[in-house]
Amino acid sequence: MLLLQTNAIADALNSSEWVFPIAECFHIAAFAWSIGMIALVDFRLIGVGMKRETASEIARATAPWTLLGLTVVLLSGPILFLSDTRMYLHNPSFRFKIGALVIAIIFNYTIHRKVALSDSSSAGVKVLVGIISLALWISVVFGGLFIAFA
Amino acid sequence: MSILSFFHWVQSTDFMSFIRESGLTYPIIMSTHLACIAVFGGMIVITDLRLLGVALQNRPIADVVNGLRWWKRLGFVIMASMGIMLAGSKAVDYYPNPYFWTKMSLLFLIFIHAMIFRPMVYNHPEKLDASPIIPTRAKAAGALSLVLWTGVVCAGRLIGYYEPPGQKGHVVSAARK
Repeated sequence: MLLLQTNAIADALNSSEWVFPIAECFHIAAFAWSIGMIALVDFRLIGVGMKRETASEIARATAPWTLLGLTVVLLSGPILFLSDTRMYLHNPSFRFKIGALVIAIIFNYTIHRKVALSDSSSAGVKVLVGIISLALWISVVFGGLFIAFA
Repeated sequence: MSILSFFHWVQSTDFMSFIRESGLTYPIIMSTHLACIAVFGGMIVITDLRLLGVALQNRPIADVVNGLRWWKRLGFVIMASMGIMLAGSKAVDYYPNPYFWTKMSLLFLIFIHAMIFRPMVYNHPEKLDASPIIPTRAKAAGALSLVLWTGVVCAGRLIGYYEPPGQKGHVVSAARK
């Protein structure tokens, strides 16, 4: 672990005081982008927002943009993590966030995707899936922010 | 009353003092601010992408603009309320922070954007749909909106990195703890 901490990547990341803040800006803008796209589907599943479109239309239209955002999030995140691996691994908020993130991503590409793309699902199932998705992603954001406080 | 003395007064109110001094309230407000950016930010992004003609091309612009109008407003009210609490509880610290003023300037530009493009674009989306190609004014509105909001998000994050003269290293270590 100490080896990981003091490796060349961390040195490079910590050599300039701008690398970390810029990576954070990319991380925040991209998670807002990708979670925002997923939330549009969630709102439609719940029954609000772009009601003249079906959930499957919104899911299909947003999917490439969601993936683009998630890619930037998943590239910038490890840059932040590698700057101080030991701190992050011992941080309870970070562990919570990673757990929530893994569940949220799996949920998004399995149950969420299936229900969003099949407009024949019952209203109750749609509302439930929309609420679970929103709750998962909001948990990820809260976990991420609390890294700096816990 | 100068801006600085106004900031001193805001920060000293009971409400703002409570937010600043209670351990969990401040990070919860900040998390809510950030979660709203994610949940409601997508509404701005999809509107901009539709105006640019790169998402939901086979659906009317009017559907996107009209369907999300009130939800975007609700999101903005929640986000701005959280933002006022975050800035107000630390107003004196924020006063010399150039990133805070950058963010406020960008928000002012977004207000100008709304004043210009509401009558031209957002208030009459069905006129855009009647046009065979997306009018340039709509694309300009979408592109500028994306740039301005991205700037607001980045300037907002950088507020936490400002180090007042003589306190080098203090803020960064706190932000990254």
